[in-house]
Amino acid sequence: MIRYTLTRLALLVVGLLVASVLIFLSLRVLPGDVALLIAGTDSTPAQVAAIRERLGLGAPLPAQYLDWIGGLVRGDLGSSLVTGSSVAAELADKARITVPLGILALLIALAIAVPFGVLSAVRRRRPAGTALSVVAQALAAVPAVWAGMMLVVVFAVWLGVLPAQGFPRGGWSDPAAALRALILPALTIGIIEGAMLMRFVRSATLQAIGQDYVRTAAAKGLTRTQALLRHGLPNVALSVVTVLGLQVAGVLVGAVVIEQLFTLPGVGRMLVADVGARDLPKVQGELFVLTGFVLIVGFLVDLLHRALDPRQRETVA
Amino acid sequence: MPRRTALAATTLLIAGTLALASCSGGGSAPATTSAGEPDPDASLTVGLVLEPTNLDIRRTSGAALEQILIDNVYEGLVTRTQENEIVASLASAFEVSDDGLTYTFTLSDGVTFHDGTPLTVEDVVTSLTQVKDDPEIVGNTEFAGVASITAADDSTVVITLTEPNQNFLFTLTGPAGLVFKTGDTTDFQTAANGTGPFTLERWNQGDSIQLVRNDAYWAEPAGVAEVVLQYIPDFTAGVNAALDGSLDVLTAVQPDLSAQLDEASGFTLTTGQTTDKGTLAFNNAVAPLDDARVREALRLAIDHEALVEAIGSGQTQYGPIPELDPGYEDLSDVAPYDPERAMELLEEAGADDLELTLTIPSFYGTTVPQVLVSDFDEIGVTLEVESVEFATWLQDVYTNHDYELSFVLHVEPRDVGNFADPTYYFGYDNPEVQDLHAQAQVAVDPDESAELLAEAARIVSEDHAADWLYTGATITAVGDGVSGFPVDSVNSRIDLAGVTVSSE
Repeated sequence: MIRYTLTRLALLVVGLLVASVLIFLSLRVLPGDVALLIAGTDSTPAQVAAIRERLGLGAPLPAQYLDWIGGLVRGDLGSSLVTGSSVAAELADKARITVPLGILALLIALAIAVPFGVLSAVRRRRPAGTALSVVAQALAAVPAVWAGMMLVVVFAVWLGVLPAQGFPRGGWSDPAAALRALILPALTIGIIEGAMLMRFVRSATLQAIGQDYVRTAAAKGLTRTQALLRHGLPNVALSVVTVLGLQVAGVLVGAVVIEQLFTLPGVGRMLVADVGARDLPKVQGELFVLTGFVLIVGFLVDLLHRALDPRQRETVA
Repeated sequence: MPRRTALAATTLLIAGTLALASCSGGGSAPATTSAGEPDPDASLTVGLVLEPTNLDIRRTSGAALEQILIDNVYEGLVTRTQENEIVASLASAFEVSDDGLTYTFTLSDGVTFHDGTPLTVEDVVTSLTQVKDDPEIVGNTEFAGVASITAADDSTVVITLTEPNQNFLFTLTGPAGLVFKTGDTTDFQTAANGTGPFTLERWNQGDSIQLVRNDAYWAEPAGVAEVVLQYIPDFTAGVNAALDGSLDVLTAVQPDLSAQLDEASGFTLTTGQTTDKGTLAFNNAVAPLDDARVREALRLAIDHEALVEAIGSGQTQYGPIPELDPGYEDLSDVAPYDPERAMELLEEAGADDLELTLTIPSFYGTTVPQVLVSDFDEIGVTLEVESVEFATWLQDVYTNHDYELSFVLHVEPRDVGNFADPTYYFGYDNPEVQDLHAQAQVAVDPDESAELLAEAARIVSEDHAADWLYTGATITAVGDGVSGFPVDSVNSRIDLAGVTVSSE
């Protein structure tokens, strides 16, 4: 286990390094720069050059990269070219919306995926099971923007029970109002992610049903369903935990679109605005934190999986 | 800066659904209070589309900043009304000498900055001198002809020019003319310290800006205690916010969504004029667009009336000067809709089977490109549409002139000078126009100046240096009980001091 953990940790560090290089380089190929945007459409080339000079945009790429990585190692995420504010502070501020939104979306996804996934597997030979599968296929393919708009039309415009957009200006000082503002956006992400996860739960359950130990348990007098619930589901849970790591990335991507649609001032909306403003130091800080988060979740899931699954333990040499 | 356009297709798709929904009385619109008394403690929430990336108005260009900060937070010696008339602001009076070289401003009494420091004549001199000396400050180019900026006494500022400049006062109504405290240590990128009727309380980036009434204001205090500027990039979300009662006013309403904000929903729509010029630029410097016959053909192929109809607001504009600016005249005779003649012209120019590319920033949506594609198709010209980010447009089109056709909304007033600048991205180089424009700049008499500009504008249009698809209109939804909200030029100035909200 210790050797495995160390190997996996080394992999994580390499992953973070590769991610930092990829993020840095991919942002540098974007056309246009922050100086042009600051100067606008009535500027002269000399004005743009003066702004570039002041912002240090002319430094060679390797120097820029090393400067950024040097800061990262010291735990400094850098600062925005446009406002001068600290990237870490901005991220922490916006995370107060995106993190609860993500957790809520994941919970909704699980609440949809687990019961319906198991049900459609157990009832796979009946119409209900088939119908569930078809609905899941369809929901997983729905564009998030469209789903969000439909939810708004129904719950905000027709029924008027939930806010259509925005986040209370007082933030979490009124937890109920803040939570209400997150319900529709979280549902939008949760339904789509849940539909994807449901198909996975279904196949994991089907696998479990076919396992010898479930059949043995059934032979001992338990019903098929009892046997599955008692002996099969722990294994299904194990597989679901593995996929949850991937789901986190999906939820973050969903948040970028959904925060825009629901006017939530979270990390996703900030990222879109910063890319548009070509505030590259800020964007690369944000992307690195998000990528790092997904990689670390994957790392923890792998460790957890190994610790929980007796079949994966190393034989003691 | 141009305004954002959302996914028009999606918007259209659900506009119908929403229109149906709004009939069934969804949303809690504000109560009708038109007969109520103005409430001095009221809070006003205004929905806007385009958020500034930072608050440093002197070093960052763009209408998003001018719109909210000028006259509300910062003030200059002079300002302009919604109709673009120049009026005194921090100056109680101003006069221009007969030779047009000397500008004398008398400062108002009792002006203080938001931090409590009294405004002095030195602050004015320092602020304006910085514009002249620092190439990075917005307006530096326009200050090139400034010879001196001095304080004649404790309340008089004198600016002398090397030659008359018909646009100089107008420049002073923009960011270049704003007055800042000498040696101010405020972080202007995220905070503000001006003399205006509102102080900048808080900027919640990516969400809203909160302005609070400045009770120590030197003139008439503002009519509301607080204004929240709520930024909603998605047009449909903006309408939803108005319908669910989150907003008192929504600016930049899309024409195709405006039907939902009718009187039943508690809003009144106002339509105002702007100087937004929907400019279809031709790269005059590259073939085949260096041939005036080809440019003329493209202009004659466009049915401008139908285009304005398709957009749903605005008016036609056949020359470089919009109606609100000096030198405007109706030039519709220069490029009337005539596809037959357009095809003849293309034949004369030997430009058969033309294939052209239009570069357009993505936030302008799909209406304009669709109309152009079908109009050009009528005369046998294939138009390829390349939708790009604004930053990409700035690099490829604005900086590198690497384009054939381009579309952006040029919102700056009085910018016909771009056609007198051969290095501008239009690639239009006509010495006669440059000469007329230069004469108009130095003319002391405003009427004479406007005539010279009109003459230049006609030549620019007759050369078909570009096509002006339309002059934009600005639609604002004003909630019941709100009065005094500006109507015209809302996209570049929102003077909030006179807005009141009636008590319930």
